[in-house]
Amino acid sequence: MELYAILKLVWAAILCILLIGLGLMVGMDMGVGTLLRFVGRNDGERRTALNIIGPHWDGNQVWFILGGGSIFAAFPTLYATSFSVFYVVMILLLFSMILRPVAFEYRSKADSTLWRASWDWVFLVSGFLPMFIYGAAFGNILEGVGYHFGWNGQYYQDSSFFSYLLSPFVILCGLMSVALSVYQGGVMLMLRSENPLYDRAQRYAVRGGLVAAVLFAIGGVFISQQKGFVLIGDVNPAMPANPLHGQHVLHTAGAWLHNFTQHPILWLVPALGLFCMVAGACAAYFGKSVAAWWIGLGSWVGTIGTVAAAMFPFFMPSTTAPDQSLTIWNSSASAYGLSCMLVVALIFVPIILSYTSWCYYVMRGKVRTADIIHDSHSY
Amino acid sequence: MLLLRLAGLALTLVVALLFAVFVGDQGPWYFAWVIGTVMIILVSGAGAVLFDAQMDSSQDREV
Amino acid sequence: MDLINPTVVDLSRFQFALTALYHFMFVPLTLGLTFMLAAMETVYVVTGRKVYKDMAQFWGKLFGINFAIGVATGITMEFEFGTNWSMYSRFFGDMFGTPLAIEGLMAFFMESTFVGLMFFGWDRLSKPAHLAITYLVALGSNLSALWILVANASMNVPEGAHFDPDTMRMQFDSFVSVVFNPDAQSKFVHTSVAGYVSAALFVMGISAFYILRGQHKEFAARSFRMAALFGIISTVAVITLGDVLGRMDYEKQPTKIAAIEGLWHTSKPPYEPWILAALPDDAKQENHFEIGVPFVLTPLITHEFNTPITGLHELQDAAGPRIRSGIEAVSALRRYGETHQQSDLDIFHAHEGDMGFGFLATRHAPNQDVTAIPATALDQVVEETKPDILPNVFVTFWAFRLMVFLALYFFALFAISAYLSLKNKLERNKLLLRLCMWSIPLPILATEFGWITAEAGRQPWTVFNKLPTFMSASTHSTSYMLFSLAGFTVLYSIFIAAELYLMFKFARLGPEEHGSAHGNAEPAYLHATQPAPAAE
Repeated sequence: MELYAILKLVWAAILCILLIGLGLMVGMDMGVGTLLRFVGRNDGERRTALNIIGPHWDGNQVWFILGGGSIFAAFPTLYATSFSVFYVVMILLLFSMILRPVAFEYRSKADSTLWRASWDWVFLVSGFLPMFIYGAAFGNILEGVGYHFGWNGQYYQDSSFFSYLLSPFVILCGLMSVALSVYQGGVMLMLRSENPLYDRAQRYAVRGGLVAAVLFAIGGVFISQQKGFVLIGDVNPAMPANPLHGQHVLHTAGAWLHNFTQHPILWLVPALGLFCMVAGACAAYFGKSVAAWWIGLGSWVGTIGTVAAAMFPFFMPSTTAPDQSLTIWNSSASAYGLSCMLVVALIFVPIILSYTSWCYYVMRGKVRTADIIHDSHSY
Repeated sequence: MLLLRLAGLALTLVVALLFAVFVGDQGPWYFAWVIGTVMIILVSGAGAVLFDAQMDSSQDREV
Repeated sequence: MDLINPTVVDLSRFQFALTALYHFMFVPLTLGLTFMLAAMETVYVVTGRKVYKDMAQFWGKLFGINFAIGVATGITMEFEFGTNWSMYSRFFGDMFGTPLAIEGLMAFFMESTFVGLMFFGWDRLSKPAHLAITYLVALGSNLSALWILVANASMNVPEGAHFDPDTMRMQFDSFVSVVFNPDAQSKFVHTSVAGYVSAALFVMGISAFYILRGQHKEFAARSFRMAALFGIISTVAVITLGDVLGRMDYEKQPTKIAAIEGLWHTSKPPYEPWILAALPDDAKQENHFEIGVPFVLTPLITHEFNTPITGLHELQDAAGPRIRSGIEAVSALRRYGETHQQSDLDIFHAHEGDMGFGFLATRHAPNQDVTAIPATALDQVVEETKPDILPNVFVTFWAFRLMVFLALYFFALFAISAYLSLKNKLERNKLLLRLCMWSIPLPILATEFGWITAEAGRQPWTVFNKLPTFMSASTHSTSYMLFSLAGFTVLYSIFIAAELYLMFKFARLGPEEHGSAHGNAEPAYLHATQPAPAAE
């Protein structure tokens, strides 16, 4: 295999890891946001919940930025096309993502009840909506999106955004992603809170895990019967990254099972996901919050891994011009750009991981309502 | 232990020197920024220390 | 046929300008305040005087209020390249995406992770460790600015990438020339140091407010002193780098420098005056009146006495042949993209350097298709395209002047303030203190004018001389654009209202009520098993 093709593959794998990290870490914060009004019955409890993720949400949000940045650098055509094609939902996602930092920083800085209650609603919306859109986007790309390219590489959209939102499968994917985030948020609250917060968080974590498992199973069965996409004929993985030439794609029912029938070992990936969702709910039920947190990682690996296994090498198939579907091979950056970014990532990712874990280590321990109320720096 | 510290210090110095030579060569303005920022912080810190000294020695405490 | 809708392009431009300028209301304070906090904390660690810890914590609190919106609105920018500028992102993303991604990896992660520790770690870390964290936050936020300005510089002075007909985009080919792009270097220092000026005046202005009221005197006088010294050096640096940038534009972006100076005709050195004020008329392509200082322009821009600076009329006329050649290039490129004939590739390579000028003609070609211009209409299309190579002179000219006048004012203000502070004669100069207070928003305004100069002056290109703005936008419907614009307007208005409310609230409360006096009495955030906080 040529070096360029390997680079493309490596970056597709990194993108997968980033999407998993994003789901896990940002999902956890979003889950706490979604749960805020339900687990916290009074202001002190809500502030405790917020301060549990207080020192980390900002760093976690960077996963999101990094996800966007890596798609831009490693797969510019995918970035340019997907962000534009999903314009309305992307803008809604953006609005939620910019409301959250402000909500964190501002909520507890004024005493008015109305002020705080409003920001609590902002937490609910900006926790629920992004995770819903995150899941729904996966539903959309599995179903295919309507777009084609002009001669100079400009994309043109062929269907309106309503058609992306109003599909039962897409809504199911969105809800599943929310369920996983509620699970992870609940577990995080369990890890670092005491009663009564602990008990309520536990209830939601258990439910979140179980709901996710059910939706995952239903979604899997549903999409395997739907129309999927498959590459036909010879494709040169090291081709120049231009969606206009070099691919022939078939849009046909059951195509998303193609990779699984070719390599049956891939069935382990959805199995892992399903197992982790159920096991995580059990672990949470029995109060093993540390185990439950790490099992949550398994659920995300299983979920994103399943989508990747089914779609490989597709990123965003096109229903109206299937031959121009964006794949790992035709939407990447140049070999030089990919290697450059790889070197940078190899240097900085270990550094990031070490200081992030150090930061968690410094801020370890339970967070108590009494401490929060007297601390002028807390959220 | 002392030797280790000295070695660490020497290493830091060498890295700083190499950095200075490379950046000074390739990016004179980047280099100027590093030096300039350090200088700005030091000068403003020195101003504060001077303020403390002025206050300790004067009677009227006008600012 | 998919035509580009000029209204959508204009709305996209308006939205980007709005969100970028809004974002940059908060960035300068972040860039500068972090280093000021570091300076204050350094003095605290060295001298052990608690007032400096109060300073670091109080100004840190105001920093936090500002930081949140800075981070939030920065996310918008990263999205907008994809959501609103798809052609640009596809055409230039191979190179342009790299600094943005590195910004996330190297700087943003660092800044965001450590900012949590900076706020929450006072009682959990030793004094030197916390100081190190503060420095890392400062370094992180400025490195963040570095990579963004590296990216921005590559739009203005594209280096380290070449166009590839096989992928129909700019291919990244040299990391070093992107990072060490001279434009990136001087822009970064100029912008970062402009942030220092903003932060210095912010601290100085609020301290002046306390001194005027006779509150928190010890605290305010020290803050004022540090800010004044911080500010005066930074202002000198900002002006120096501004001069460097002017020279850069003279060498690399002649249309920008000519627009900045309102220079319609090539200058006549050495007499050519530097225009203080004028009324440039873009439609008639002339200045309605001019007040200038003779003999200043030539040495100011070129650092020589007898080098002429090319005027806008001359630049426009020189563009004619390039547009003609560019149309050849684009036509050959399209044929090559469809049939992959070597002969078309050869034609393209002969005209490659002018490709961008061919794209520029899109707007005036029949059906926006430069490959289908009939020979009879060619002259007319070229004539119509020629004035398009000029930026809006009125906007560029005045944004630049306002920035420069403000910078000179800051220089005077900081110089007098630093002098009076060193002499401990602030209290009796009430007028100066009031002036400092009222000047708080001005550096931010100056920074915004700076961005307007740089980006309006770059027009009509997104990638200078390579890709016109007109072609860069996504192909949305007007209703999509109105939806997002309305959303931004509502959200951003709420943000600024909330921010100002909190800023005024905490600035009025002052340090005692919200400084460390509170935090020390009740070691907040402290688990019973944690080690005791470092002794004061």
